[in-house]
Amino acid sequence: MLDMLKPLLAAALCLAPLSALAGPEAQESKFWSSEVKAGYLPPVAERLPEVPLVVNLAAKGREFGIQGGTLNTMVTRSKDIRQMVVYGYARLAGYDQNYRLQPDILLGFENEGNRRYTLKLRPGHRWSSGDPFTSDDFRYWWEDVANHPELSPAGPPDFLRVMGQLPQVSFPDETTVIFEWDEPNPGFLYVLAQARPPFIYRPAKYLKRFHADYAEPESLEEAIEASRVKSWAALHNKYDNMYKFDNHELPTLQPWINASAGKKIRHQFVRNPYYHRIDSHGVQLPYIDTVEMEIVSPGLVAAKSNAGEADLQARGIGFRDIPILRKGEKDGSKYKTFLWGNGTASQIAIYPNLNINDPVWQKILRDVRVRRALSLAINRRAINRALYFNLAKPGAMTVLEESEFFDPELRAAWADFDPSEANRLLDEAGLSKRDGYGIRYLPDGRLMELIVETAGERQEVENALQIITDDWRDVGIKLVMRPLDRDILRNRVFSGSAMASVWFGWDNGLPQAYTSPGYLAPTDQVFLSWPKWGQHFQTGGEAGEAPDMPAAQRLLELLHNWDMAGTDEQRAAAWREMLQIHADQVFAIGVVAGAPQPVVVSNRLHNVPKQAVWAWDPGAHFGLYRPDEFFFEDGKG
Amino acid sequence: MTQLPDGRYVDDAPFDPQASLLEVERKDLDAPNWLLVWRKFRTHKLGLISGAFLLVCYLLLPVAGFIAPYGPNQRHSEHLYSPPQSVNFFHQGEFIGPYVYPLTSHADLENFQWVFTPDLENPQKLKFFCEGREYNIAGLIPSTTHLFCTPDKNSPVFLWGSDRLGRDIFSRILYGAQLSLTVGLIGISVSFVLGIFFGSLAGYFGGKTDWLINRVIEILRSLPELPLWLALSAAVPSNWSPVAVFFIISIILGILDWPGLARSVRAKFLSLREEEYVRAAEMMGASSGRVIRKHLLPNFMSHLIASATLSIPAMILGETALSFLGLGLRAPAVSWGVMLNDAQNLANIEIYPWTAIPMLPIVVVVLAFNFLGDGLRDSLDPYQQ
Repeated sequence: MLDMLKPLLAAALCLAPLSALAGPEAQESKFWSSEVKAGYLPPVAERLPEVPLVVNLAAKGREFGIQGGTLNTMVTRSKDIRQMVVYGYARLAGYDQNYRLQPDILLGFENEGNRRYTLKLRPGHRWSSGDPFTSDDFRYWWEDVANHPELSPAGPPDFLRVMGQLPQVSFPDETTVIFEWDEPNPGFLYVLAQARPPFIYRPAKYLKRFHADYAEPESLEEAIEASRVKSWAALHNKYDNMYKFDNHELPTLQPWINASAGKKIRHQFVRNPYYHRIDSHGVQLPYIDTVEMEIVSPGLVAAKSNAGEADLQARGIGFRDIPILRKGEKDGSKYKTFLWGNGTASQIAIYPNLNINDPVWQKILRDVRVRRALSLAINRRAINRALYFNLAKPGAMTVLEESEFFDPELRAAWADFDPSEANRLLDEAGLSKRDGYGIRYLPDGRLMELIVETAGERQEVENALQIITDDWRDVGIKLVMRPLDRDILRNRVFSGSAMASVWFGWDNGLPQAYTSPGYLAPTDQVFLSWPKWGQHFQTGGEAGEAPDMPAAQRLLELLHNWDMAGTDEQRAAAWREMLQIHADQVFAIGVVAGAPQPVVVSNRLHNVPKQAVWAWDPGAHFGLYRPDEFFFEDGKG
Repeated sequence: MTQLPDGRYVDDAPFDPQASLLEVERKDLDAPNWLLVWRKFRTHKLGLISGAFLLVCYLLLPVAGFIAPYGPNQRHSEHLYSPPQSVNFFHQGEFIGPYVYPLTSHADLENFQWVFTPDLENPQKLKFFCEGREYNIAGLIPSTTHLFCTPDKNSPVFLWGSDRLGRDIFSRILYGAQLSLTVGLIGISVSFVLGIFFGSLAGYFGGKTDWLINRVIEILRSLPELPLWLALSAAVPSNWSPVAVFFIISIILGILDWPGLARSVRAKFLSLREEEYVRAAEMMGASSGRVIRKHLLPNFMSHLIASATLSIPAMILGETALSFLGLGLRAPAVSWGVMLNDAQNLANIEIYPWTAIPMLPIVVVVLAFNFLGDGLRDSLDPYQQ
């Protein structure tokens, strides 16, 4: 890890004197020029950090843009304005397009044996309010928020605890923050780069007015009264929403700042005058002046995109909307539909519940031969053709091609369409008795009716199950589909009432050695095959059941190995063995993976990659592709 | 009979100027009620046609599988979203009987649509009474004979097109009718029978009966419904098919739904029971049941019929309403509500408009029920002009 990061750090530090000496001269933006003239804002050279992050767009294969324009996009729920934090993707350190970690807000970082991390801030960096962004903001978070019993009753977030130990955090000077553990914490920086990162800094100057240790008691009392909350802690938490992004007064480091208060149908976001990135011509990013986010009902996103009302849209549209989007293009709407890859490990995955309460079914579903037979009996090619125009990749659930751990054999494992082999495996598993229609009997005399519950949200799941129903009938299993509501489905699985359920595959289908393989091991109930083992891990043994299958126990061991590993080779080895176990044991039956995600892009919008991957983490949806570098032709949009 | 000198014949019986008049009236007055209703109903042309249409529909239900060329969930993976085909008779100016042009499909990956090209050289004559997928006549007698089909299994005939899994919409509409026209109406029937029964008891007898029924009504009305549905969705065994679940649910719906009707029946009866003809019937020793059935209910029939026919459309469209709790009709059940639910998005209307065809039978059947109800209401009061 250290070896890998050193050159990066060196590069980051080399950049500093270079850009300070021969850096591009910063140009004033039109958007803020009247404010600058009136004296409300300092000129751009004073707003930028002393060492801004200079983006060489030419080296990235992108065009240099011009400032201006309004980007229209849509979300489906009013709380989704937080997507601006995701799309903005200003992180202390963020992934580049090759999934390597690069300093972003930070000037650089230093990692000593995964135990001691030194974070270097950019001198002169400012919040969107103009207040300086210094180590004091980290200190405020660490001492007055994370470790304050009233603001954080549970203490600092979990990712900072290594074997229960919290780090030593020190702030030697204005631009340096040091986190130090006794045991290695290899995931620390990667957690900071997540789509939803834990913000380990806060705009201290703004928030101190709501903090009992700093604010005047009378004015605090008044503020509590005015916003009708119970305590100052509630008041502080109400205004301290760096991720929710719903407080337009809260200073931010993101490229766009929220400019509309309260709940609205249209939310407006304007460029951050203090943003730390510039292009090598000296134009401050983001190129786009304002972003307008409209809240529309889920069914209307495709229709409105089709009518050309979105400049950039991927959220709320899916594979089945592609025909209507392409038709809109043809009918003269001024946009293009790019087809991006998809970051989830599987579009449709069936999770047999290994923790089902019914003892007979539990025994059957825990029999690996049965799970393999269920997988072998699915005609994935037919599903791919019927639902995805042969564009997705049929196969078992495993990581995607973009990951270094991808292995075609893992995808092919138990995923060929082979009904006779499936029949043989089921007979071998002691399910050979059949009724007049060819449906097998369970050992206790019931018919083998496998009830698959779905969230009832996606039509393609229903269609796929329709096809699988026919396939499974041929091997003597009657599939009964039961569409429910998302929450009801989850509760039924978590309580062990559901027999099998359908959901997406792993959210992260693009893991690298540094990605924690926690989601492959029974550590969380949301992996719907082992809800109770997950509960057991999550509650420290208070609820649920301890894993009692050797394969699951091995997965936990390997996760521990990964945590303790000193080198990338050891981590990769843990990853590979865990993926091998999943492929072999078929804990979840993947159907197809990698269905394209349509991305609607206005014809006037440049720098949006044609080929990319739409993924939540790592990726932050658009974030990885840096929407602050997107721009409108002529600056008008 | 006497012959007069000028050759005419004259009846010997004495002339009674009232006789002919009386005879007609007596005949009318003595005619059974149904005959009067029928005579009146015959004059209501729209109602008559609608009634005949619905009768045909219901008669076809048991043999829907025979008319439908394919099964409701039979997929044709080479013909996804196939457009409706027209049945032609003349090929290149020559009469060759009913035929269709076979369609071949390929994926257009530019527009992400299936493109169908008809083979105009090889008209496929439709075969009649051919073998196909097995189905049950009236749900009992297994059979494999279908009314029509194409000779080549690989180029099926889709009169009204096919849906996203290559299922024949025409066949699905026929099978869907079996559900939509029967199970959907059970709820209404249950609530009507219960509503009329309890309403008339309460209205006619009054006193303690009335008090008791009114309190039951109030209790039923005060039950919160959503928690009840939630409890039900947990209680329904999960291996039940959607049809069975929906059957039970519509009966329960009916059981919960009668108080509204019972109240209006009761109010009407409270005033009608004071009428003189009711008194007269009672004096003549008619039992309470007879008074209610023969003398009171017919007065009220027109209102009942009207409200029953008006609630049918809501019932058909509401089939899928409770689906989010796993209680409504959902795939793999086939009904008009389910089909329409599937078609509810822009892509379907813009690109595959034929997937919205199930709208037509719903509109037609709902209109027919309304016209029929209209005709019945007019004719159930034969004395009223």
